[in-house]
Amino acid sequence: MSHQQARLLIGGDPHSVPPELAEHLASCPECTQFQREMVALDGNIRRALEQRPAGAAAPVMSTANVIPIMGARARRNKQTTSWPGWALAASVVFAAFATLAIWGLRPTDTLAHDVVIHVQGEPKSWAAAGQISPDTLNGIMRKAGVWLDTRSEKVTYAQSCRFRGHDVPHLVVSTSRGPVTVLVLRHEKVKARESFHEDGMSGVITPAPHGSIAVLAQGNENVDEVAGQVQQALRWLPDSH
Amino acid sequence: MRGTRNSGPETPVSSFDGSTVGAKPGDPIVRLLESMRPELLRFAHWLARDRAIAEDIVQEALLRAWRSRDALKDQTAARAWLLTIVRREHARLYERKRLELVPLEDGIEHECLPSRAGPDSELDSLRGAILKLPLEYREPLIMQVLGGFSTAEIAQELSLSSTAVLTRLFRARNKLRTMYGLTPAPDDAGSEAVL
Repeated sequence: MSHQQARLLIGGDPHSVPPELAEHLASCPECTQFQREMVALDGNIRRALEQRPAGAAAPVMSTANVIPIMGARARRNKQTTSWPGWALAASVVFAAFATLAIWGLRPTDTLAHDVVIHVQGEPKSWAAAGQISPDTLNGIMRKAGVWLDTRSEKVTYAQSCRFRGHDVPHLVVSTSRGPVTVLVLRHEKVKARESFHEDGMSGVITPAPHGSIAVLAQGNENVDEVAGQVQQALRWLPDSH
Repeated sequence: MRGTRNSGPETPVSSFDGSTVGAKPGDPIVRLLESMRPELLRFAHWLARDRAIAEDIVQEALLRAWRSRDALKDQTAARAWLLTIVRREHARLYERKRLELVPLEDGIEHECLPSRAGPDSELDSLRGAILKLPLEYREPLIMQVLGGFSTAEIAQELSLSSTAVLTRLFRARNKLRTMYGLTPAPDDAGSEAVL
């Protein structure tokens, strides 16, 4: 394989290393360096794309806002009805109360949603099977002010990800029930445990001594037990973050 | 992207008539569309580079998905199915609006590019650079990174060879390298059939 072919493959998918590329990389420090740079760049691209574009529509608050029958175009095409002013005002007030009530009942919904969006942004993390060295893992955890008391071979994926303006450890841990994603959210305080199901993932966000911890699994797995084990295994370093 | 593929979301929807749709809030498909809408909107926004257009695309895509909901045989493939609908809807819009294109700088929504000092400013610059990529490079990049589509899936969706997709992805990333002060890799690809 030529350098050009190797770089095309790397640039096409920096995380994919087919055997012929691996063979080339083993004997080519320049292409290996190129791959390192591209993996790092790809992490930034991922983080850049993860952010919802500014000004996007607010999170969905009721089904009526979402289902196709209430489309923007449909609304545009709709004839304006001639309601009396008081009825219109009452509707607005009712809608405002309903919105506040929904948000009041779902305090961490946005956090859970952002966690799901973040995890979806790294779809290959679930299938990662690589060995994470203890040094790498400790480096990532230390950056977020925590230490994980676990055998590092259980961790198949570890990245320091940008999430809501902070670097957070994003881990995938191998369990008997399949891979489980853990995000240590030192800067996200929650008042109570919150479980959620979204886009084929089940998860829970639990309060921690510093911030919170999000644990997610694919499908309808109950992650409470894993979340408890993660809580036990985490050691929070003095708050300098 | 894992999961079973569903039939193509090709049910034509010529115009919208809300009264005939009759979606019920409790329907699983409605809940699915509800949960996916923010992600679809983000995906569409990166493709279209304009919030209002993205909202229209997603709205049309949701309507299309609702109309062809019977084609969704496997719920685990719903995400890929919906993202594909959004991409196709964007492609349709792009075809329809081809003659109405405006100069690049005018077309990019500047609210996407906040100028902030601090740790996020680098990412903001990167977002700006991604938005400036030509669609032929931006689209496969967004499909791969944001959508989780494989090279083969992108190739099928864009009617390209896998090599052509790799070339476009390589060029997209190569262009973005420069903003990190990295030297772009030589691009001798010329055509898109290098391997």
